[in-house]
Amino acid sequence: MDLSNPIVWVHEEALGPANPALEDCPQAPALFVFDDDWIKAQSISRKRLGFLYECALELPLTLRRGDVVAEVLAFAKRCDADGVVTSGAVDPRLNRYASRINRELPLWILDGDPFVELPRPPRLGRFSRYWREAEAVVWEDFRGS
Amino acid sequence: MPAPSPPPDPRDLPRLFKSRAELNALLQQEFPEAQGELSPIRGGRKAAEVKLSKVDPARYARSRNHLSGAVTGLSPYIRHGVFSLAEVRNAVFRRISRRDDGTKLINELGWRDFWQRMWQDLGDGIQQDQEEHKTGHDAGSYAPELPQDVRDGSTGLACMDGFRDELVSTGWLHNHARMWLAAYLVHWRRVHWRAGADWFLEHLLDGDPASNHLSWQWVASCFSHKPYFFNRDNLERYSNGRFCRDCASAGQCPFEGSYDALEDQLFAVSAPVRDVPARGRAQRRRR
Repeated sequence: MDLSNPIVWVHEEALGPANPALEDCPQAPALFVFDDDWIKAQSISRKRLGFLYECALELPLTLRRGDVVAEVLAFAKRCDADGVVTSGAVDPRLNRYASRINRELPLWILDGDPFVELPRPPRLGRFSRYWREAEAVVWEDFRGS
Repeated sequence: MPAPSPPPDPRDLPRLFKSRAELNALLQQEFPEAQGELSPIRGGRKAAEVKLSKVDPARYARSRNHLSGAVTGLSPYIRHGVFSLAEVRNAVFRRISRRDDGTKLINELGWRDFWQRMWQDLGDGIQQDQEEHKTGHDAGSYAPELPQDVRDGSTGLACMDGFRDELVSTGWLHNHARMWLAAYLVHWRRVHWRAGADWFLEHLLDGDPASNHLSWQWVASCFSHKPYFFNRDNLERYSNGRFCRDCASAGQCPFEGSYDALEDQLFAVSAPVRDVPARGRAQRRRR
């Protein structure tokens, strides 16, 4: 099902123009929320908040603070949106938020250009194992002289 | 760029500031519990592009272990997606003509990708010891709290207090300084890695639980087959002696000594934990 009037939820892992949700929906109202719970629980310093703020100011975003899920859903309502588009996150906290948003509204999660695309999941555990599989694939795109 | 406009709401945070002082004041008002001031390191794509334009992959490879080396400073921007890893990879490829010149920097980007994949795999499990400690000390013997003198930067050790000051005032530390500070806390002060890792996340602009927590565990030896430690000679060499020259504790430096002697002092294992390369070669594995 296509979303006809989505909003974009931008989170802390994708505060740049390569954010696939922003690239895909340049006309959609977009939101970044300062996560009060995270800031409090981790004692996040003002330096970090200022850095995030300055990143966000260079993107076409509405800025809020509070409960992330409640703020995203309220923003969707305010914009009369029929769904939410966001970028894939690694942080389990952000993925928990995504699941909760998706209980209320359709949520599309878009992935950006990967660093390396491997034919099968690499062996992790130690960097050396991963890099034995990944390094050659990373360099496939290099066109040296 | 113009933002697609939603209906206005008075509780939206402002987007227009005359100066950074205004932003600082707004943050103070909105987040009074958040400690400290703004970092001199600015956020945003424009600042990131300036950093990227200065990246020199070959110089990075030669000098990155030195505090004054040609490191990129891109980590805060990569951590928050201001640049994707793929964008930085492509920029490195464009800047080099020989693969050898980019090997180390691409390798470092690989580390970032690796940590993220580990996080995807482990989820909140990165908060826990991944393996047993190989120091001969019980995991429960490490103090759960950060010592106040470390938090305040009043240990009397010029290097460690200097790293603390840089961490707290700028939100960024050279990787080698992170390793030394982590090793000092975990091995010399016998503090659990998690206390130090959480402290770093309060301050680091690139604070990423995966890179940070797993690197602390690498130093501690619960994500590695041996603990990482260092001696004064190593710190002095890679910091060009800048801390030792005027250090009030230089006469009783806790890092003074051979790796053998320090190992005996710090760890309680029967077999040697060290595998120190010959002097003059690259130092032991970095994060």
